[in-house]
Amino acid sequence: MFKKLLVANRGEIAIRIMRSAQELGIKTVAVYEETDKTSMHIMRADEAVCIGSGPRRDYLNIERIIQAAQMTQAEAIHPGYGFLAENPAFPKQCTEAGLVFVGPPPQVIIDMGSKVIARRVMAEAGIPSIPGTTVLPPGEEGKRLATAFAEKHRFPIMVKAVAGGGGRGIRVAQNMSELERYIEVGRSEAKMAFGNGDVYLEKGLTNPRHIEVQVLADGHGNVIHLGTRNCSIQRRHQKMIEIAPAFLPGDLSDRICETAVRAARACNYLSAGTVEFLLDQDDNYYFLEVNTRIQVEHTVTEVITGIDIVREQLLVAAGSTLSVTQEDVTFRGAAIELRITAEDPKSNFMPNPGMIEIYQSPGGHGTRMDGAVYQGYEIPRFYDSMLCKLTVYGFTWKEAVDRLRRSLDSFLIAGVKTTIPYYKQIVTDPDFINMDFDTSYIETHPKLLDYQEEVPPLGKLASLVAEINACGYNPYS
Amino acid sequence: MAERERVSPQMRTAEILDFLRAVPGVFLTNNERDLSQSDYMCRIMPQTTLKVAPYRDATGYFAFEIFGGATVHMDLIKKQINPFEKLRLVRKAMPNTLIQGLCRGKNLFGYRPYPDNVVETTVRLFSQYIDVWRMYDFLNYIPNLVVAANAVKEAGKLLMPCICFSTGEGHTDDFYTKKVEEVLSLLGENIILCIKNHSALGSPARIASLVSSIRKRFPELLIAYHGHNTDGNDLARLVAAVQEGVKIVEVSDHGFGGSYSQAPALTAIQNLHDYGFQTPGLSVAPLLDASDVLRRERRLYEKFTGPFHGFDPTVKRHKLPGGALRIAMEQAENAGLLGRSHELFSELIQVRKELGNLWVVTPGSQILWATAMSNVLNGRYEKPVDDLKRLLLGRYGPFPFEKPPEWIYQKVLESGRTDGKKWNVILAEEGGLQDLADEDFKARRLMLESALKRPATKEELCMYLQFPRDALDFIKFEERFGKTWLLPPEVWFHKGGFADGTRISFADEAGKTHNIDLISTRKTADTVQTSLLVDYHFQTYKTKRGAQQ
Repeated sequence: MFKKLLVANRGEIAIRIMRSAQELGIKTVAVYEETDKTSMHIMRADEAVCIGSGPRRDYLNIERIIQAAQMTQAEAIHPGYGFLAENPAFPKQCTEAGLVFVGPPPQVIIDMGSKVIARRVMAEAGIPSIPGTTVLPPGEEGKRLATAFAEKHRFPIMVKAVAGGGGRGIRVAQNMSELERYIEVGRSEAKMAFGNGDVYLEKGLTNPRHIEVQVLADGHGNVIHLGTRNCSIQRRHQKMIEIAPAFLPGDLSDRICETAVRAARACNYLSAGTVEFLLDQDDNYYFLEVNTRIQVEHTVTEVITGIDIVREQLLVAAGSTLSVTQEDVTFRGAAIELRITAEDPKSNFMPNPGMIEIYQSPGGHGTRMDGAVYQGYEIPRFYDSMLCKLTVYGFTWKEAVDRLRRSLDSFLIAGVKTTIPYYKQIVTDPDFINMDFDTSYIETHPKLLDYQEEVPPLGKLASLVAEINACGYNPYS
Repeated sequence: MAERERVSPQMRTAEILDFLRAVPGVFLTNNERDLSQSDYMCRIMPQTTLKVAPYRDATGYFAFEIFGGATVHMDLIKKQINPFEKLRLVRKAMPNTLIQGLCRGKNLFGYRPYPDNVVETTVRLFSQYIDVWRMYDFLNYIPNLVVAANAVKEAGKLLMPCICFSTGEGHTDDFYTKKVEEVLSLLGENIILCIKNHSALGSPARIASLVSSIRKRFPELLIAYHGHNTDGNDLARLVAAVQEGVKIVEVSDHGFGGSYSQAPALTAIQNLHDYGFQTPGLSVAPLLDASDVLRRERRLYEKFTGPFHGFDPTVKRHKLPGGALRIAMEQAENAGLLGRSHELFSELIQVRKELGNLWVVTPGSQILWATAMSNVLNGRYEKPVDDLKRLLLGRYGPFPFEKPPEWIYQKVLESGRTDGKKWNVILAEEGGLQDLADEDFKARRLMLESALKRPATKEELCMYLQFPRDALDFIKFEERFGKTWLLPPEVWFHKGGFADGTRISFADEAGKTHNIDLISTRKTADTVQTSLLVDYHFQTYKTKRGAQQ
């Protein structure tokens, strides 16, 4: 096992990775940009290196990160999620610099990062994908191909960037004129966002469920799955709430999980990854993509299996076999994870950076916090607005929902607007409680936004205290 | 056995009177209402009262006076508590003690006579909480008490009519005994008579003589003595009163009084015991506990103790009662006349003599003092206040002794008249008690409800009938700020801004603790932004600078 690990990330995931490393006796190195120097992950690491003035560009600077690893004599680098996690150049250059990259090899990232290659690999392995095209050629030929695809599969049709992912670079066309327009717009946007303007088409499913399977693979031929997750509750293709297990009917869960293991083998997977599927209303599932990284929502899987996924990643990276076999993996209860962000739900989830004046997190049995903020922390406006993840466990789904409600009620973040009041609405919504949701949930439940900003019962009285404070005396005494 | 030694709110009026006649010894009434008025300008806040309520309830007082006099108006304008709510809270906190209130007869808790139906409704509504109604007329004109007294009897509550006591020409035992006779004749015999020595007047011998005279004439009459310790001598007076047969004396907590209010309870008990009188039902331990608490509370009210502290034996000359004296000092200070206080008090003495050697008690005390102030500032009777005109017109009742000299009538009644009428014509045409028409409750309710834009409760209407503008302001205040009586006095009277990190803790009526933490104050040119954590909920309030003025 290596002795020192550099975590090439920030925020909650950096801290999450450091925890597992520290449990294995591995020293940790944090990197940070000057604009992020008050970030909590720096405080949690054994040592830290400032890699530049930032913002955002230095966390993406492979050379500087490798330089930091060499300077601190770190032997391995964990990329976390986002930033360089799915940039194949990163593991490549790490390897060239003699550093262990905690994640899959570059070719896997390249293959799975290309939606088109990924679909081909899966097709070769007999794994069903949503009907789609190859990369659309430019000009009239592309148009012809698109028209033919639309005639065959009918609308809605998704226009996707080949290099997209995580909900980015996707547009849904409902008719031919939209389709033509989105292809053009999608190309130019993809070019700007990902440096690759290639797009392809996929048949759109009506209100599908988003199911994913956590897989683990080592360098000794072992590939296992850790069960399913339901990530259907999304806002504009960004996941908001994730659940494990996905509570699929009959043997569907076993079939999907087995398919996921096959998919991982098909792409020579290594480390932790996620195979994502869309499930239509008739319970047909289609391969969507493979996420070649640790995912935000991995906590729900950890909670119901008891397996530390990051620890397994580190073991695999160090050349060990997985510490568990498929037979060791059991599932117990239900877990729900929420991404609590500094956003104002009532203002179209606009990021709301600012000073965290009060931070009081929930606790108690079955409540897991993966946070990266603290009281007095000024949330920088340059980065992801996620403050923390709240994961709850319940012996049953109902118990998990009850615990989630209780945890949200006792969660206090003051100073910035957060998504907590919005989640409080969701957790009391009958459809959510009855697990009756799909990817259209947020759009079809607009009333969830009709919450009142919480006014405590003594709010009026407090307004007098404020007035005494403002006047310097009580004008009513 | 203790239960049999004290009265309880559950007892009927007749039972209470029988009990007092049957049980030997002396009973004590704790008068926080008067203490607040006399020593702290009426500012004792409900939180303080409630804090010591369990101890006072356990002490075994005959009654606890917490209501009436100036408090009703002050509750509305300075403490922002509904007087009905205050009584409800006190009743709940002191379930074993009679709650006593002071009423100014036809003048209720104000300064001018109210229509009969307002008096009746007010007494009836407050009788939900008030067990003992102590009642006086500042001219000792007993007919002014009849309407309110009948309402008390109708509500089944205990009536304690007062004779206001003073000294000087005309204030003889014979005069007062005849007044008692009038009281019994007009108000009935099922009463406790109260000698209201509101200005700490007379020597112990004088009080003994008065009580003795009344007792000789009415040996079965139960008598209470309400005194003040303004001159430091009320302990001697109350012992003398008890020696002559007084059954109830008024006292204060030693941890709280010590100035113009009542004599300390503990010293009174010690003296009474030494003189061989028992105090049935009284426990000293909770009395000590109450004062231990109040000693710590009194610093919160220091700013309301006025410019002069300690006793004032000159009260024998100026005769201002405690509360009026405190306010008189404050007014003199505000008018820049504190250095001329000797001149002011000399004028007061002169005015009192000229106006018929009246009792210097509300509203008479205000009329006399305002006249004295005006005389010093503007020349004698040059700018008479309206209430002096009313007094001379006999609107409050007849002068008990001699009438003022004609030149005063002339100056006062002719002042400001544009019709050229002479004083004697004015007196003949406009003088005497007015038969006030009943208030049109329906019309007044409509006015109140249109101002509130919602239905009004009976209690709100009752307050509105007495103090229209102030009651409305209060109701709107409460709608805006809620139950502010929950705030500790140190917050209510706070001076300056709160430091970041200040925690304000208090319990609600259910005993649940609440916290308001001050997070930050940000000031801009126009506003002050206060961020608070209210029971751990973050709230930011913007206050416009100067908006309160």
